[in-house]
Amino acid sequence: MPRLSHSKKDVESALSYAEKQGWRVDVGGGHAWGKIYCPYNDHECRCGEFCITSVWSTPKSPSNYAYALRRVVDNCTTHRKQRDPGAKE
Amino acid sequence: MEYTFTLKYQLAIGDDEQDSIVERLGAAGCDDALVGIGLPGRLALEFTREADSAQAAVSSALADVHRAVPSAALIEAAPDLVGLTDAAQIVGVSRQNMRKLMLAHPENFPVPVHEGSASIWHLADILDWLQTRGNYRLAQGMRELAQAAMQVNLAKETRRLTHPAAGVREALAG
Repeated sequence: MPRLSHSKKDVESALSYAEKQGWRVDVGGGHAWGKIYCPYNDHECRCGEFCITSVWSTPKSPSNYAYALRRVVDNCTTHRKQRDPGAKE
Repeated sequence: MEYTFTLKYQLAIGDDEQDSIVERLGAAGCDDALVGIGLPGRLALEFTREADSAQAAVSSALADVHRAVPSAALIEAAPDLVGLTDAAQIVGVSRQNMRKLMLAHPENFPVPVHEGSASIWHLADILDWLQTRGNYRLAQGMRELAQAAMQVNLAKETRRLTHPAAGVREALAG
């Protein structure tokens, strides 16, 4: 069954971007609309806290918020290493 | 203008239920922050906050989080403490480039907070130094933000000063 869409279209597009990179999206909460889970979340990760990121139902600025969500996905250290194997720590 | 910064907290035992904390943060006006709950016992908030100054943005965020989770202990405000890689990324140069700058200017490259296998600096020091050299285009407000984050981290550490430290301060001042 397809998951529930986020009512803010910027946020929804950031969520589907995360899903394309292998993140899991879970729906549930009050102020929180749901959560996104990093596919790796391993002990080598340098961005640990954001491996699980909460998603607001009504972020103050949906466009800023969507941008920040995309940044989390792009900044994942494991993901970055796979994309650019030559990159050093 | 808008300032993007991160606050990291350690949660107190007994008040570490992350889902309920997220709800309280939402009610306390932290809906301009991305809330990271990937590590047990930890909380990270990446704010994109509109304010008149970086200091106002960071202070109001600290107050909001404190209202929602008074038991949480601040670990660090970022961007402040950085290694060469982080600093290079923020400035928009390669790590090699940043390292070269450091090695080429041993007399005036900012002194690190810690020197070791991985040295760390206050970002504000590095940005100020680069500014004096010109020709680096930094994101608007970045210096101000690094300065504000440094003030938070310094203030947090200062609370740990014990009384006899006054003597140390005089000795350092020479």
